[in-house]
Amino acid sequence: MSFRQGFRVDVLEGGRIALFSLRANRMRTVLTTLGIGIGVATLLAIVGIIQGLNTSFHNQLATLGANTLYVSKFPWVFRGDWWLFRNRKNFTLDQVARIRAQAPFISAMSPAVQRVSDVARGDAQVSSVRITGVLEEYLAVSGYEVASGRFLTTSDDEVTRPVAVLGAEVASSLFPGISPLGQTVRVDGRPFQVVGTLAKKGKVVEENLDLVVLVPFRTFYASFGKGRPMQIAIAVEDAGRVKQYEDQLVGIVRRVRGTPADQPDDFSINKPDTLAQTYEQLTRALYGVAVGVGLITLLVGGIGIMNIMLVSVRERTREIGVRRALGARRRTIVLQFLMEAASVSAVGGLLGTVVGLGTAKVISLITPLAADVRPETVFSGVAFAAVVGLLFGIWPAARAANLDPVEALRYE
Amino acid sequence: MSEASGTRQSALIQVEQLTRVFFVGGEEVRALRGISFGVTRGEWVAIIGQSGSGKSTLMNVLGCLDTPTSGRYLLNGKDVSRMDDDDLAVIRNVEIGFIFQTFQLLPRETALANVELPLVYRGVPARERRERAKAALDKVQLTHRMHHRPNELSGGQRQRVAIARALVSEPSMLLADEPTGNLDSATGEEIVRLFEQLHKAGHTLVLVTHEPKLAARCPRAIRLSDGEVVADGPGREVALGTGAGVAAVTGGA
Ligand SMILES: Nc1ncnc2c1ncn2[C@@H]1O[C@H](COP(=O)(O)OP(=O)(O)OP(=O)(O)O)[C@@H](O)[C@H]1O
Ligand SMILES: [Mg+2]
Repeated sequence: MSFRQGFRVDVLEGGRIALFSLRANRMRTVLTTLGIGIGVATLLAIVGIIQGLNTSFHNQLATLGANTLYVSKFPWVFRGDWWLFRNRKNFTLDQVARIRAQAPFISAMSPAVQRVSDVARGDAQVSSVRITGVLEEYLAVSGYEVASGRFLTTSDDEVTRPVAVLGAEVASSLFPGISPLGQTVRVDGRPFQVVGTLAKKGKVVEENLDLVVLVPFRTFYASFGKGRPMQIAIAVEDAGRVKQYEDQLVGIVRRVRGTPADQPDDFSINKPDTLAQTYEQLTRALYGVAVGVGLITLLVGGIGIMNIMLVSVRERTREIGVRRALGARRRTIVLQFLMEAASVSAVGGLLGTVVGLGTAKVISLITPLAADVRPETVFSGVAFAAVVGLLFGIWPAARAANLDPVEALRYE
Repeated sequence: MSEASGTRQSALIQVEQLTRVFFVGGEEVRALRGISFGVTRGEWVAIIGQSGSGKSTLMNVLGCLDTPTSGRYLLNGKDVSRMDDDDLAVIRNVEIGFIFQTFQLLPRETALANVELPLVYRGVPARERRERAKAALDKVQLTHRMHHRPNELSGGQRQRVAIARALVSEPSMLLADEPTGNLDSATGEEIVRLFEQLHKAGHTLVLVTHEPKLAARCPRAIRLSDGEVVADGPGREVALGTGAGVAAVTGGA
């Protein structure tokens, strides 16, 4: 009998015996399975939810634009004292113009200054709208598109015209079924004439981008005061060279702001990347903890498998003796028990996968978390469980194979 | 030398100075103390002796379930006392049909599946396996019980299933350790008749028994005492201790 044929026999017979004994001990199989199943379920639910978070976060981040830098006195993400940043000097429109003039790689640029207010038309009102003062190029930097009418112009800004462009949600709420163009809306009692509306854009990190009213930058200052710090959005020509442009930009902004050479930057250059990195640090830690919990559960499940396999070996000592007397080799016995352990675990893994993915799905339905279930996750759940079974089956299987046939046959 | 090896090759079994020592709690138990004999093809040999004389130990060595501490064991011309575990498994599968006092059937499998087992380990395809297992069950007149499990069979029927299992792989010899020990005398007689038929059909049989009457029906018997062969000759004479034809054998070197 050739080795390959021998191996085939071992696998076939091992598999048959494994199935046979799983069916013979249904209750025990189910209970053993439960341990592994719970482990896999925990792991998958957590992984599914975190993957879901990642996907939605990255989708949202993509709308911020990869080739956009945001210069402001506040960093987006910081540790330590907020007032340190607050005490930095505000940017001025003059500085904005000088930065623009010195940085040839900028394709579009606009300062933005914001407040949150109610917007009213007669009795109708929309609250928590971000009123944003911007310049003409904001359209290009922000990725908004004009749905009707026109966008704000440089001349609107220069003569501080009280005009406004409405975000999609503001427009549809205040002017259901009618065109808002030429109509008047009131922000804190001040009238603005609507000259255009924006196309729908959605949300970024729970911020509704359609709940916005854009007004000319100087109109904003004239209407709501000059105290608010601005953020300068800068689109660069080549997204692949953002890093290089960022370095150049630091030099230019320092010069424009007259930052002394021995002082650190008194401004921050923010990128969607910065957010992504912070997010990843956060979720990686979360991931680690979650996977740790899942692995411990699997370990417990694995020990359960080992225990049940040791019982199984003991119960079947005579059977092992008989099989050895009739010509079963050690590796045949090893394979028999390994396959039994692996298949119990795989069944558990399958159940756990179903339960885990179901849990993730339910969580995504009843909470804002979005679960993202990938086929490879399912596959790896089952495969992983089988591997756990194999590992924890090794010792019991080795014990079975090392039994002395004569002793085994005599076992009561 | 050349003559000696010639003799060995004609013998199915040739054991020389076989010993088996067990170590129990620092003490040596010398179960076999230098056993030598040969068995030729087609012989029917009974092994008798008092309890503890080493019969089962000898059978386990002959059946390649156990390896001798020293001495030589040639089976079919091959020195099996030097083989590793994998090779011994093949020998057990191909050369030996073991029949146990306690039947040793797998309780959850049917009679047919039990009989098929040696062929499974030989890698015989399922269909052929089934046919050969049925044929073996037919030899012990149990085809009508082939789908029964052991607990649905009588003791005599179980032992017949076990005999079918030993026959199915057409081994060089059948080894039976007290095959009638767990059966009443009428059922035991049935089994002995079966052995007689098998002997007539040309099978080689080695049978352990403590019943002198049974040993007396065997053409040849070997008596063990305290791990040594003390008599080897025609069954009737060795078993009943009569006649001058018994070759008294002295043990040791
Ligand atoms: N695994 C073992 N460990 C230690 N001693 C053993 C072992 N097997 C057998 N012996 C000893 O070897 C001797 C021979 O035992 P064996 O089982 O071969 O006797 P037996 O002739 O078959 O007896 P019985 O007729 O009662 O079956 C006994 O003294 C026994 O105690
Ligand atoms: Mg015995």
